[in-house]
Amino acid sequence: MIRRWAYVGLTAVLAVVVAVWAVPDLGRDGFAFAGFAPDASPPLPSLSPDLFLWFGSAEIVLLAVGVGLLVQIYSTAYLGHHPRYRSYALVIILFLLAMIAVVGTTNLWVLLVGWEVMGVCSYLLIGHEWETPAARAGAAKAFLVTRVADLGLVMAIIVIGETYGTYDIIGAQVAESENPRNATAIGLLVLVAVIGKSAQFPLQSWLPDAMPGPTPITALIHAATMVAAGVYLAARLFQLYSDSTVVLTTMAVIAAITMLLGALFALVQTDLKRALAWSTVSQLALMLSAVAAADPEVGLDHLVAHGVFKALLFLGCGCLMHAVGTSALSAMGGLRRPMPVTFWTMTIGFAALAGLVPTAGFFTKDSVLDAIVRSANGDSMSNLAVGTAWGLLVVALLTSVVTAAYAARLWALVFLGPPVERLDTHRTPLAMSGPLVVLAVGTFALSIGQTVHLGVAAISTVIAVAGTGVGLEVARRGVSPRWAAPVLAAEAGLDRPFSRWLPVSASAVARTVVDLDRDAVDVYPRGGASAVQAVSRGLGRAQSRNVQRYATVLAAGALVLVVVAVMVR
Amino acid sequence: MSLLYPLLLSSALFGIGLYGVLARRNAVLMLLGVELMLNAVNLNLVAFDAWFADALHTGQVLTLFTIALAASEIGLGLAIVLALFRAVRTVDVDEVGR
Repeated sequence: MIRRWAYVGLTAVLAVVVAVWAVPDLGRDGFAFAGFAPDASPPLPSLSPDLFLWFGSAEIVLLAVGVGLLVQIYSTAYLGHHPRYRSYALVIILFLLAMIAVVGTTNLWVLLVGWEVMGVCSYLLIGHEWETPAARAGAAKAFLVTRVADLGLVMAIIVIGETYGTYDIIGAQVAESENPRNATAIGLLVLVAVIGKSAQFPLQSWLPDAMPGPTPITALIHAATMVAAGVYLAARLFQLYSDSTVVLTTMAVIAAITMLLGALFALVQTDLKRALAWSTVSQLALMLSAVAAADPEVGLDHLVAHGVFKALLFLGCGCLMHAVGTSALSAMGGLRRPMPVTFWTMTIGFAALAGLVPTAGFFTKDSVLDAIVRSANGDSMSNLAVGTAWGLLVVALLTSVVTAAYAARLWALVFLGPPVERLDTHRTPLAMSGPLVVLAVGTFALSIGQTVHLGVAAISTVIAVAGTGVGLEVARRGVSPRWAAPVLAAEAGLDRPFSRWLPVSASAVARTVVDLDRDAVDVYPRGGASAVQAVSRGLGRAQSRNVQRYATVLAAGALVLVVVAVMVR
Repeated sequence: MSLLYPLLLSSALFGIGLYGVLARRNAVLMLLGVELMLNAVNLNLVAFDAWFADALHTGQVLTLFTIALAASEIGLGLAIVLALFRAVRTVDVDEVGR
């Protein structure tokens, strides 16, 4: 028990150090370059940390260590008796360090290292319960999908370095403001990396499949921090591709598809954890749409708020799983009375998800919607076409309805209705309920000082209330549109390319390669070996162990030499 | 007298001896082949000694050495063959090799 708290202490030390470093930079304005002068000569890729907090960084670093600390505390109770607890706790700390590297550096190569280490930690932690096949498959899938997309980031870094002669983000931004080049190439490559890390369409399916990992990990990595790092990257490098309409349009289209699909899939899930995962996918797309609408700071605000309330929802889901023993919605219901702390905190979380006043989710989502509206009205710096922006706005509003609906449906299915028979009626330990309360308070605290956009706020409140009503009705009657439910429940078959076609084609390619290797490449070494063997068999016949035969050969050789000597002379 | 006749004789002797060593399976007869070859060499030495009319008769002296060498060699060889026969009851070299 004491040993488990040592890791909490370690994380707390890290959190304090980060807080001392980051708190003075809170609310720093975006583009203070503070006399930065990039080198004229292109430097070699260096790995100096170059720590520098700019807009959004400080908040995100604090969010990461804060949620990380809460997750460590939570895990002491949730996973305390696990035999591999030490590796689990240490990988969380490694993950936090990588996240700090990604968010706090201006050096693109350091960012890449942190980015990849986060991917590895994600893989290790999803596969923490590696005894179960689902965890192994989910871990491998997450790792492979994100790793393939990470190639986009590597290429993007190389292109940035070749274009602007520096691997420093601020240096590249300074050079870009003097002479913008290659915006489309950089933007599309960055977008590939973002799509992979933030589970956007068409690479969205790894995030729901990552759910077999321990729930605290899901809260930390697959809701609050790592998947949001993709959006962070898009926001941080925004200036380098903001001139490219192609990139922004692609980003807007992807964000629109993903946010609506994720919300619709979340609406029909039968498993709370998976529903929350699809919800995360949808919310990440909403942040990305703010970046596409040329307001990355708003996207990062929503990132922080979402990180807090989604971590809260996942940790609450962990408490429910602790009590019920499963995350299936069919096993839940009527948990309002037996689990009051979880009920109230998760109610706040769901309200923030649905965008109800006065939670942080309401304010930040409205700011995102407002950014899209400004882009659609053509009074922002966005290079998005007006039509695209309007389309994005319509999809975002639709998504808001669906989001409120699924949040209300999940809330009702878990907490309302007749109480289910439960096996485990013990009280939630303090180490688990404490973090919930802290995050719930944070969900309100983050609304302090947020701006209110009255028009948007009115519309979105109406939408949220309407969606909530729909969701409650759906939960009460268990109705769903008959024609759509099977398609949505099967997640529209969007995972088929990855789960079926890709393995089949990969095996076919592998078989072809094996055949080629055997019949076209291996022929030469095998032939060489056979030839050597044949020669050695021939020579081996001469080694007859018969001394007289040897002597005969000697004599014949001597005779030949004599004859040759005579002839030559 | 021409040098050809003794040389032809010694070549024939040497060839017969060599054939004996290489083809015979009986150890005693192989030794006999060796002796034939040695004697062919002796004949050569004497023939060339006479041909060169050497004042010191080096060829004949070397021949005496060779005869002594051949005698000691055949003694040693036959002793080995005898020991072999006592060990494995045969003097057939193929049988011994197995």
